[in-house]
Amino acid sequence: MVEYRDQNAPPGGPYQWGMVIDLDRCTGCEACMVACKAENNVRIAGEDEAAKGRAVSWIRIERYWEGEYPNAQLKFMPVLCQHCGNAPCEPVCPVYASYHTPDGLNAQVYNRCVGVRYCGNNCPYTVRYFNWFEPHWDEPLNEQLNPDVTVRSVGVMEKCTFCVQRIRAGQQTAQKEGRRVKDGEVTPACVQSCPTEALVFGDRNDPESRVSKLAESDRGFGLLEELGTKPAITYLKRIK
Amino acid sequence: MDLNRRDFLKVIGLGAAGSALPGCGGETAKLIPAVLPDEEIVPGVANWYASVCRECEAGCGIIVRVMEGRAKKIEGNPDHPLNRGKLCARGQASLQGLYNPDRIRGPLQRDGERGEGRFKPIPWEDAMSRWVAALQKHPGGAVLISRPVPGTLAGLFSTFMKEISGTVLFYEPSAERPLRAANRKSFGIDFLPDYDLANTTYLLSFGAPFLSHWLSPVHFGIAYGEMRQGRPAVRGRFVQVEPRLSMTAASADRWVPIRPGTEGLLAVAIGRLILKEGRAKLSREDRCRFEKFYDPFSIDRIANETGVAEEEIVRLAREFYTAASPLAIGGGIASEQTNGTDTLVAINALNLLVGNINQPGGIHFFQPSGFPASSAEVVGEQALLDLKNRTQKPSRALLMLYQSNPLYTLPPSTQFRQVFEEADFIVSFSPFLDESTAMADLILPDHFFLESWGDHVTEGIAPAVGLAQPVVIPRYDTRPVGDLFLSAANRFGGGLKERLSWTDFRTMVREQWQDFFALRQPAQPFDAAWVEALQRGGWWKPEGKPVPISQRGAPTAPEPARFEGSEKEFPFHFYPFPSMGLHQGEGANRPWLQELPDPLTTVVWGSWVEINPKTAQEYGLAERDLVRVISPYGVIEAPVIFFPGNPPDLISMPLGQGHTFYGRYARERGVNPLTLLAPLIDPPSGGLATGATRVRIERTGKRGRPVLVDQTGQGAKRHTEEGEA
Repeated sequence: MVEYRDQNAPPGGPYQWGMVIDLDRCTGCEACMVACKAENNVRIAGEDEAAKGRAVSWIRIERYWEGEYPNAQLKFMPVLCQHCGNAPCEPVCPVYASYHTPDGLNAQVYNRCVGVRYCGNNCPYTVRYFNWFEPHWDEPLNEQLNPDVTVRSVGVMEKCTFCVQRIRAGQQTAQKEGRRVKDGEVTPACVQSCPTEALVFGDRNDPESRVSKLAESDRGFGLLEELGTKPAITYLKRIK
Repeated sequence: MDLNRRDFLKVIGLGAAGSALPGCGGETAKLIPAVLPDEEIVPGVANWYASVCRECEAGCGIIVRVMEGRAKKIEGNPDHPLNRGKLCARGQASLQGLYNPDRIRGPLQRDGERGEGRFKPIPWEDAMSRWVAALQKHPGGAVLISRPVPGTLAGLFSTFMKEISGTVLFYEPSAERPLRAANRKSFGIDFLPDYDLANTTYLLSFGAPFLSHWLSPVHFGIAYGEMRQGRPAVRGRFVQVEPRLSMTAASADRWVPIRPGTEGLLAVAIGRLILKEGRAKLSREDRCRFEKFYDPFSIDRIANETGVAEEEIVRLAREFYTAASPLAIGGGIASEQTNGTDTLVAINALNLLVGNINQPGGIHFFQPSGFPASSAEVVGEQALLDLKNRTQKPSRALLMLYQSNPLYTLPPSTQFRQVFEEADFIVSFSPFLDESTAMADLILPDHFFLESWGDHVTEGIAPAVGLAQPVVIPRYDTRPVGDLFLSAANRFGGGLKERLSWTDFRTMVREQWQDFFALRQPAQPFDAAWVEALQRGGWWKPEGKPVPISQRGAPTAPEPARFEGSEKEFPFHFYPFPSMGLHQGEGANRPWLQELPDPLTTVVWGSWVEINPKTAQEYGLAERDLVRVISPYGVIEAPVIFFPGNPPDLISMPLGQGHTFYGRYARERGVNPLTLLAPLIDPPSGGLATGATRVRIERTGKRGRPVLVDQTGQGAKRHTEEGEA
């Protein structure tokens, strides 16, 4: 058996991509949501399909209401694929379309996916979306489509990739220059647009990266971490 | 195959050189992205060009990713001091304006009755002749209603209209006007200050929606992040006082509900306590004036009127004056009342009392950048309504519109439609067929901003002049509005031709910058400075020069806010608020923004009525029931959403929907809450008092279909019901 070797593996071990989301900074402004749609060719559902629950948003803002007037409170929480280290979506995929990359991404191979939706059922974060119809853009809106990213066709599952196209581009540049990716050199679209810098992305294998340092905060927690999914995203608790 | 692609790219290259730069190819071929020679276009490799976002009035710096002549993505310009690489949802979505399938693709003239919205194409030459003839026929009677265009275009519009003795109105349908009016009263300064949120330790906001749409939400978003978690060991506290729990209030440490229109009174109470408890940092002379003002007010009476408990008022005052660097701001619902300006003056006074003017974490006034031809005064609704009286004279009746949609943004109760109906001739330069443009006799469509030259002066907040360049070849047979006005001036002849002798708008922009740089950095050769400005996206300095404040105005007693409709007949306060994505309606033709869930309710693609759940139960209403909202001025129907952040006697609705024109994504979708509003104005600012109308609700017995996208609990259940229905 030929041993798998990561062509992109940098000097000093593989990357381990991760994110920190500081809920004390997030204001629910949704800039991340549109940035993600623009970068990743996420389709528009339209009113009728959205009403059937078929709208897609690789990142969304969950809201939690507490209390009643005049003591009502609302909390926001951005939720995207948690790129679990122990991902419930992966073992249930009959065709290995959902798999784990050596650098810690939970990847989805679209042209392998046969649309059984087991992964979606098994995802506790409901961040995997099924394409119920062929994506459509009224001309000439399609001219905006990002050529670096596939348009997912009807019948496949799709989800956040941590903007893998940006990660790979950054890795290749670094590899050519014989170095590791610098902290902050690669940012997914959502992280890049976030005005309050609530989202921080980076290499968890680099102890000096911002994401590693922030993840050590005593405010840190994983979403539904009691399920043992080992999410790659660390949330920092909002202070009240 | 290969040959074909190469030929194709050549065509793109030639097209760019031909249309973007008449007559200046030689010099600019190296500088301007849209005219890269074809050998420099590499398929699959992106070029990034700097420009300025024009989706709201903030003017964030942007960089645009262009591949093979197509704009692919818009991001914040990391160099620009206003937004530092960040961009909001609306800015990101502006690509869907560029590629909007419903853009006007060439000049049109009316075909059929005015207002029917039927048009037929007309050659540019004929269109220009008709417009210039109309200008000549209405000497002194021309009115141009434009969106605020801080930069060279404002100078062009002002000069043009002055020269033909016409009027230009830079109209903005949101609440920045009361802020300017209040700053004039308090500080004697007209431009907008910078609020140093990043360094404040205690932010007391009276309704200012600074995280969603107020002034410069991206700038404030950055500052907010720093205020919360950007400093070691200091986390700024934030209290939001407003009747409805808005998106901004959701981020606050404490939300203090208050009766609408009484925010100024609360500020007076807090001011009185600061003074009384000996914590005011005022000169002896100022102290006397302020004492004289605050003396007659009693805290318990104010507690009674505002609905904010006396202990809470005392707590707010103490928190405020004991903070190391406190800051009070006001806007949004607090200023959109008939006493809006006075309310803001009372809030300004709190800053004067704690002496935070030009202090870290306080209010900063910066020296204006000194960019020529940009100081255009922005007007509110009153200035437009004044036209009603003027246009009654038959000779004064040429109406021109530049990216301004008053027939949508003004309530019908103001009867502004009369101005359109009585106008002799209406010309619109809008790239989209909005409600006002549909009334036009002639449409001379402008380029989309990503196809145009321009600049944007940001005074006050972060002194900067952004430079906008075309990042893509114009898609359609449109022409930049600047070129149109210069061409009209040329045809007009006389003094107008002399004053506006530029051949095209790009040359004019370049010359304005030449004058500006001669003032700012005379040592550097202009050509080099110009190229640098194009590459960077404009000119700015990291630090503005502070302007000392000489005037310290004591507050004026805020008059009680007036509300239209009797409390008995119309038991609810009504508050329409700009929607997160659609804002005042401009975003409604962008599918990304239509499908962007409202952050508080998760509704997409429609209108809804927010009602306190208890109140709804009293009325026997279930969520999604269709209700009639009735004011003394109109009736609309929309589905109910339970909203725990509303007081029992307040109903809120998002603005932005209910378009009768404006393209396939916007048209006939939801309702426009402005149709309910009374024509009430805040007199000092001339701004519409959007929060001053009272309403009642009636059940229709029907179910509505609000589309909610939330994935948790209730939302998922709703989807199931929807599927079964």
